[in-house]
Amino acid sequence: MLKYVLKRVGLAALTLLIIVFLLFWLVRIMPGNPFPSERMNDIQIANKRAELGLDNPILVQFWNYITKLLHGDFGNGTSLYYGVPIKTVLNTAVSNSFRIGGISILLGTAVGLLLGITAALNRGKFLDGFCTVFSIIGVCVPSYVFMIFLQYTFSFKIPFFPYFFDDSRFLFSSVMPALSLSLFTMSTIARFTRNEMVEVFDSDYVRLAESKGLYGSKLVRAHVLRNALIPIVTVLAPLVVDLLTGALVVEKIYGINGIGKLMVDAITGEGIDYNYVLALGILYSTLYITVMLLVDLLYGVLDPRIRVAKKRGEAA
Amino acid sequence: MKKLLSLLLVVAVLASCAVTVAFADSDAYLGVMLTTNVMSLDTNLATDGESFEVIANCIDGLTQMDADGAAVPAIAESYDVSEDGTVYTFHLRDAKWANGADVTAYDFEFAWKRIAQEAGEYAYLLDSSVGCVKNADAIIYEGADPDTLGVEAVDAKTFVVTLEVPVSFFPSLMYFPTFYPINEEFYNSLEAGTYGTSPETFLSNGAFVLENYTPGTASLSLKRNETYWDADNVKLAGIKYQVIQNSGEALDAFNKGELNMVTVSGNQVAAAENDPKLAENLSVTGAGYMWYLSFSQTENNAQGGMLANKNLRLAISNVIDRYNLVDNYVMDGSLATFTAVPPQFAASSTTGEDFSADQDLFLDVCDYNPEAAAEYYALAKEELGQDEFTFTMIYGSNEGNEIALVAQAIKEDIEAELDGMTINLQPMTKSERLDKMQNDNYDIALTRWGPDYADPMTYLGMWITDNSNNYGFWSNAEYDQLIADCTTGAYVSDYDARWAAMLEAETIVMQEAVIAPLYTKANANLISSDVEGVQFHPVALNRVYKAASIG
Repeated sequence: MLKYVLKRVGLAALTLLIIVFLLFWLVRIMPGNPFPSERMNDIQIANKRAELGLDNPILVQFWNYITKLLHGDFGNGTSLYYGVPIKTVLNTAVSNSFRIGGISILLGTAVGLLLGITAALNRGKFLDGFCTVFSIIGVCVPSYVFMIFLQYTFSFKIPFFPYFFDDSRFLFSSVMPALSLSLFTMSTIARFTRNEMVEVFDSDYVRLAESKGLYGSKLVRAHVLRNALIPIVTVLAPLVVDLLTGALVVEKIYGINGIGKLMVDAITGEGIDYNYVLALGILYSTLYITVMLLVDLLYGVLDPRIRVAKKRGEAA
Repeated sequence: MKKLLSLLLVVAVLASCAVTVAFADSDAYLGVMLTTNVMSLDTNLATDGESFEVIANCIDGLTQMDADGAAVPAIAESYDVSEDGTVYTFHLRDAKWANGADVTAYDFEFAWKRIAQEAGEYAYLLDSSVGCVKNADAIIYEGADPDTLGVEAVDAKTFVVTLEVPVSFFPSLMYFPTFYPINEEFYNSLEAGTYGTSPETFLSNGAFVLENYTPGTASLSLKRNETYWDADNVKLAGIKYQVIQNSGEALDAFNKGELNMVTVSGNQVAAAENDPKLAENLSVTGAGYMWYLSFSQTENNAQGGMLANKNLRLAISNVIDRYNLVDNYVMDGSLATFTAVPPQFAASSTTGEDFSADQDLFLDVCDYNPEAAAEYYALAKEELGQDEFTFTMIYGSNEGNEIALVAQAIKEDIEAELDGMTINLQPMTKSERLDKMQNDNYDIALTRWGPDYADPMTYLGMWITDNSNNYGFWSNAEYDQLIADCTTGAYVSDYDARWAAMLEAETIVMQEAVIAPLYTKANANLISSDVEGVQFHPVALNRVYKAASIG
């Protein structure tokens, strides 16, 4: 098992390095200018470029960047929040996005599971239909449309929630964005849970368990849900990353200082900010790779069969 | 089981809606909308109007703007000018930084030398094209020792500035944030790169102190500075800023009372005009900057330099219906403009007359006049020996919602009146547009320029040979000479002669159609009826809140 984990971690690190290099190179060939100055002359701009080492060969630049990165230094902003260490800006953005993302994941998964289980237990009845319709709507309606609807209804028509995100009332002003972001997760999880559970209900081993006299919540927990969870975890993983890394449009609409908004600002602001695009790119990829790694390891916990198969694979 | 599940479902949905935290509304604060993020609170790094507005709320310079935009004393209680107009001696009043330290001449000396040494975006305000501070060019462009800059703190209360040549508008430059002081001791106590990134790392000596700010935030707040030297005249308890990029959302926030001052554009302006309740809150103020068409005149572009032909440029300039642009597309009270220097920001200090008050001055060369355009076009076709032209027009798709519409309208005007000319539109980000223009890789660009100081030279200085803002690479010896005479030569001490020479220079730009002016941007503001005393200016600081009150 340890060897397997190490191998996976090593592969993940290599993938990350390749991604960082590609990003590093791509951002430099993107159209646009890191110094979109209208008032500095050529000498000043050349000096600024030299200060940032942009005149060096790309591999030298990359080596310098990686060395700094390994010391935890993302560099400073070049055109966005010019001169400010990216770490300070990123801290706030990550904390905002992760907290709101975290709430929506918890909400989405919990309600999604409940909906899915309810639907599966009431197959063909009203509740099943209701859940299906709900999840189709949830998958189809983009989160920002729902966000605009919530904002219009619950802070404009009925002024209860703040109209814009307010740092000093974090939990309270997170309700609407978290709710709208969780909708997609909620519906996806509900749909998958329902379908998987229905399938498992029809399987031989559940019938066997039933014939042994198992029924009710024990049957659902020990046999149906556990088996149904595997595909759900697979679906949930990328959803988690999507939610954590922020939702561009929702953050823009509600004025949340999060990483989604930061990414858009870094690319479409006055100038392209190489360091921000890179830092955020690295953050996204690291999260994706880590979550995928965790999912892989989680399979083993959820399903002993996978664990055993892996052991056999290692032995062979 | 089913009942339990249903119950849990209901509880979960209810719980998600019922998270409540105590309300803490700040009624006494003025709620103001910003259209973009505050990028930096460091005077050396800030480049945008939003940042300058917030800095100016918190820091006082030597002078400040009065309601009409004239320079009146701030930290400098008074100043003397030497007879030849090159030495300014500022006498500082007793004022405190928010941490209790005195505001001294040394703070100004430190800040100015830092601006010159760092050579950032606005360092040029010190150089020989604008402020003409002694030795600034050598420091900014050649890396000379910043201690050689012509500024000296004679003692804590006396700040002396030596200029290369007299600069008639020098006192009005002093209210621009680039010339604000920074407390050296405080600055040096901070970790490098963190100055101005939080309330703790930013020091005020002005009307407000920073209460709540992180870089990238969509909302920030300032509160009244009780130790401000002029605190008796500050009525607001504070200002709460909210970044909103969507005009519809701005209108909703205003209607809801969330914000007291918002800027609307496009259809929302019409909506506000037609709503009897909102109409009385609507006011249009000049934003200062002018949109214009820049033509590349080099051989690299426009089918081998076709736009170097004066008549072709004049033909294009004379088919654009500028009133149609502002009335039907921009719709926020922006002014159709027919002069290379836009109106409303530069008034003569001897006659008080606006440099560009007379918009009819160049109508013979710049107007919506298809017949004249046809004549120019015929001449151009003959001179170039060509009947068909295809040009690309670039514009920034992130420079306001109306820009794409304006670009489309210009294309339609040109193609309708100038037979055989095709305009291809190419949207891109502003940064890409600037990149193309600076690298001489465009035919026609829809671009803008805002005045940094209240003198026509902020525009006219752009079109001298080799200026980095001379994107068309146009060059005219007579023009260069006129501008040199106005900035460092014959006219520097003769105010009226300088004014006349600048008009002469502008005439050359217009007759040659170096650019095609389009419109001078305005802001359509909605301001709650209980707000008074906010001062609007088209130049330097767009909004000043020192005299503002609410309720």
